[in-house]
Amino acid sequence: MSIHVDIASTLRAGARTFRLQTRFEARGQRVVIYGASGAGKSQMLKAIAGLTRPDAGRIELSGRVLFDRAAGVDVSPQRRKVGYLFQDYALFPHLNVRQNIAFGLQRGWRNPPRRGDSDAVNYWLQAFELDAVAQQLPEQLSGGQRQRVALARALVAEPAALLLDEPFAALDPALRVRMRAELDALQRRLDIPMLLITHDPEDAATFGGQVLTMADGAIVEERFL
Amino acid sequence: MRKIFLLALAAALPAGASAAEVTVSAAASLTNAFRELAQAFEAAHPGDKVLLNFAASDPLVQQIAKGAPVDVFASADQEAMDKAEALALVAARTRRDFVANTVVLIVPAASAFKPATLADLDVQSVQRLTTGNPASVPIGRYAKDALMKAGIWARLEPRFVYGASVRQSLDYVARGEVDAGFVYATDVMAQKDKVRAVLTVPTTSPVRYPIAVLARAPQPALALGFVQYTLSPPGQAILAKYGFVRP
Amino acid sequence: MTEPALTALGLSLKVALWATGIDLVLGMAVGYLLARGRFPGRELLDALLTLPMVMPPTVLGYYLLVVIGRNGPLGAWLHDTLGINLIFTWQAAVIAAAVVAFPLVLKGARAAFETVDVQLEQAARVLGVSEFGVFLRVTLPLAWRGILAGTLLAFARSMGEFGATLMVAGSIPGKTQTLSIAVYEAVQAGQDDTANLLVLITSATCVLVLVLASRLAPGRSVSA
Repeated sequence: MSIHVDIASTLRAGARTFRLQTRFEARGQRVVIYGASGAGKSQMLKAIAGLTRPDAGRIELSGRVLFDRAAGVDVSPQRRKVGYLFQDYALFPHLNVRQNIAFGLQRGWRNPPRRGDSDAVNYWLQAFELDAVAQQLPEQLSGGQRQRVALARALVAEPAALLLDEPFAALDPALRVRMRAELDALQRRLDIPMLLITHDPEDAATFGGQVLTMADGAIVEERFL
Repeated sequence: MRKIFLLALAAALPAGASAAEVTVSAAASLTNAFRELAQAFEAAHPGDKVLLNFAASDPLVQQIAKGAPVDVFASADQEAMDKAEALALVAARTRRDFVANTVVLIVPAASAFKPATLADLDVQSVQRLTTGNPASVPIGRYAKDALMKAGIWARLEPRFVYGASVRQSLDYVARGEVDAGFVYATDVMAQKDKVRAVLTVPTTSPVRYPIAVLARAPQPALALGFVQYTLSPPGQAILAKYGFVRP
Repeated sequence: MTEPALTALGLSLKVALWATGIDLVLGMAVGYLLARGRFPGRELLDALLTLPMVMPPTVLGYYLLVVIGRNGPLGAWLHDTLGINLIFTWQAAVIAAAVVAFPLVLKGARAAFETVDVQLEQAARVLGVSEFGVFLRVTLPLAWRGILAGTLLAFARSMGEFGATLMVAGSIPGKTQTLSIAVYEAVQAGQDDTANLLVLITSATCVLVLVLASRLAPGRSVSA
């Protein structure tokens, strides 16, 4: 994957103003953006996914221009072909595990059926050991199971890249260690480009690749692990 | 301090016999005339006040029947007063006819419609008519009787939009929402810029307004005084100003 | 005695259903706009659209009469261009009821949409579902209870509408004489038995609707 980000945004929340001015270039399958809370990592990730629109700049992913303010290009989030893992997973509470995973495969106005039988979905249910809970609702699952459902949901559509927003922040330490290892193995197996943002230095150390440090809305450091 | 308190208390208490209030329920068509008449009455009886309550005649009877503290009732037709008498609401021997009126057909000022007789209403181009609801408003009864006599009530009835009072029907015509309406000759004056009378309607019974003191009037003496005032020369002069004639 | 009462009931139901239907569509659209939109004057717009709920119905009726009446800006145009006279029609009764009851749907819809986590909608977008698909598949299933509760209240309000309706639709038996107006007329004419029956029917219908609305208890707001 190659990702080229050069964006600027001014965000206002009440009386406070936050200026995002991020510029970086990443090559390779693993990129970690590391920084303290409030550094602007989430904002930047959302801009890459198309969930927010920067005031100016350009975003290019593996040769595709996703956003170019000057040229008037702004690909909708529906068409960017990236997977997104939200910090608290954003699982659809009214749909069961199978329906959640199948969600992106079903275009149109109807939700996937409760007892579907899609090969792609079955594959991921098995791979993540979710067969037993396929019919359950998100509120009935454990934290680790929820994360796996969210991952499966993002991966089933075979995205060009996976964006992960603090994927381990919601887990307890023991589970965190386990999930880090799982994600590491998953990335190796699929060889899918992953861009991960985190405030935990352990995540950066385990995941490795290209590590960019972000502070006050800008990239301040770059190293390779 | 105590003196001020007592004075305030005395002022808050209901007035004594020297300053009385007489409550008059009158048909809607008497609105303008009775307002002026009430002012003249108050001038002639310093200290006394007239409280006016206008609506269609039948609803006024209903209010009185349900216990409203009314002293005097003036209705637009005999039937409403008959209803009041049947309910034993009227004080004996106080009922009098005090004015007469005529029923007219009016059209919006901008209308070109010029009927010569009632039968001219029975055409396609006349789509909406108005008058009071015959079940509760005297003008509706007058209009219905006249149209029945002309033999066209059955055909015209579906085109009627009933007003809750004659004044509401007048308003419908004034706004141009209907093609024509039946009101009293005296009502035309109230909206003379917006409506035009085109026909005087012959009624099956003379349009005579009765007035009476009520059996349970809180102020029977003053009530009688008011009734007598409407029958007196100064009272009649005021009523004549608004188009009402002697009964 | 029951036949006119049933006619009035049928008319009230027809007017209320149409008014509520219109309010549902408009209320959801505007409610979503107010819940998700960030634009200057948003709260002012919300307040303006809520006005009909606090204004005296006769005042509202008067404004409507002035606007859609024969000599009003909209009414004159309708008459001259399309030959339509709205006053004294059941359609005018629908307009009056719809205007009066709109804030009830709007408030219910906006509140309901605000309980739906925006991130869920974002997740659906990234997964490739169209905007309308997101609304139908994620937003609406999570918000429908609040919307329905508001809609039922609007229906009950439409059933009982009187002041504004009387002004623009008049009281024409079989055409615009809804239950509440029929009660008024019966009392005016001293027909107490009829009035009692009509009041009973109206009350029973409204109680039924309110019980249904309360069953859709303020949702356990659900998010991921």
